[in-house]
Amino acid sequence: MTTDSLSLENDKPNALRPVSGQTYAGLTVVALTLLTALFISRSNGEVAAIWVLANVFGLTLQRARFCFASAFRDLFLFGSGHNMKGIIVGMGIATIGFAAIMSWIIPNPGAGFLPAEAHILPVGLSVVVGGVMFGVGMVIAGGCVSGSLYRMSEGYIASWVAILGVIIGLGALTLTWNWWWGFTISTEPKVWFPSIGGLGYTGAIVITLLGLAAIYLLVTFMEFKNGLFTPHINKKVIPAMNFDDRVRSTLDPIFKRGWPVAIGGVVLGILGIVMYTIHMPLGVTGELMRASQLGLGWMGVDVPVLDGLSTLGGCTGRSGESGLLGHTFAITVGLLPGALIGALFAGEFKLRLPTHKRRYLQSIGGGVMMGYASGLAIGCTIGAFFSAVPSLSLSGWVFGLAMAAGAFAGTQVIKRIG
Amino acid sequence: MADEQIPTLDVRGEICPYPMLKTNEALDGDQKDVAIFDVITDHPPALSTVPPQAMKRGYEVEIDELGAGEWRMRLTKI
Repeated sequence: MTTDSLSLENDKPNALRPVSGQTYAGLTVVALTLLTALFISRSNGEVAAIWVLANVFGLTLQRARFCFASAFRDLFLFGSGHNMKGIIVGMGIATIGFAAIMSWIIPNPGAGFLPAEAHILPVGLSVVVGGVMFGVGMVIAGGCVSGSLYRMSEGYIASWVAILGVIIGLGALTLTWNWWWGFTISTEPKVWFPSIGGLGYTGAIVITLLGLAAIYLLVTFMEFKNGLFTPHINKKVIPAMNFDDRVRSTLDPIFKRGWPVAIGGVVLGILGIVMYTIHMPLGVTGELMRASQLGLGWMGVDVPVLDGLSTLGGCTGRSGESGLLGHTFAITVGLLPGALIGALFAGEFKLRLPTHKRRYLQSIGGGVMMGYASGLAIGCTIGAFFSAVPSLSLSGWVFGLAMAAGAFAGTQVIKRIG
Repeated sequence: MADEQIPTLDVRGEICPYPMLKTNEALDGDQKDVAIFDVITDHPPALSTVPPQAMKRGYEVEIDELGAGEWRMRLTKI
């Protein structure tokens, strides 16, 4: 604990903010990412569209400070449901949109077919082990896969280390996948609510929304028990003196101040629906899986043929399909400039080195756990949870519960690390 | 009051959950019931996670931007 006195030079009221260098850098990144979209569109219009949507995805994650790790961890650590509520809102919105799309693809859900692109994943030991391991990993690393990706753009060096860990973990999973496939995954069922016992789409939507509402209530109750309430924070208000200030006071809520997390949830829910209408729901681990396999190849390790993976769908199931400028590249790499734009316009970009050396160990260790786990569970907090629950798949719920258990264990670990 | 006299917790370089964890530790420990307390952070999520914890302990929070990606949260006992 260091509670020393700091003298701060810039204590004078910041009356007029000049347009910062970061704003100009942000405009440059906007131009560059649009040029990239234009370049991609010459060979593949769909991938170019996904690139732009990924930019918005990254911007939203950054602006709303959307953090799955914090959503699970802070419930146990502080009794705070701030982030979890935003996630629930987003999944509720996506559920309705996903159901509409799926009912168009598969009008009769009882006929035994599953909508191919939806994230309906096997339910069994693999999801439980993957979820627990992912929960521990994200709490130790201080961010999940999507969280670490957008923080790479904000200048967090530890997040680069965490993503390197994820890629290493996915490499380890690649080499052991066939064992897991034979041991359990090959016999795990895909449980899709609309196809069960005449539930149909209506019943499945009702069950999913009631489940989400119940968890929202539970989270609110946990906050109440902990004496937390929604804070009213004093921020210095600078009166708009001239036209320049008026323009700023319009733009600031979007580009300068963080968005309320529920707004982030709504935007992500809608983005998920739009993504699904174009191709498939949101997911970010596919490209990292591809990167890990490229890495294994460079090191001269034979990448085995992964049994059954391509029949599973989800994030990693698709990673083999696309070349350099494919779907998974666009969604994962595309979120980086989006988050960078958000950070630069807000003036929040800063190269941040961890104060303690042990944080690097936490990042790489937590990253490896998340990587292995996301391969095993065929997705991370985005693909196997945020996109799976709205796919009306039981797997999303099991993965979420397992992550909660893992996050609880993780909080015990980080309390001891200090 | 000059800034030099205000007890300050500098958690720059720390990411979640350490800014909140250390603020709570200070407010529940050696800074218990301190009248005014500054927390310096460069981690934006801390701006939305520290205030509820401080308010639970009876503090008002005012946030000031110090520079690119750095903020000061001034906690004042109500």
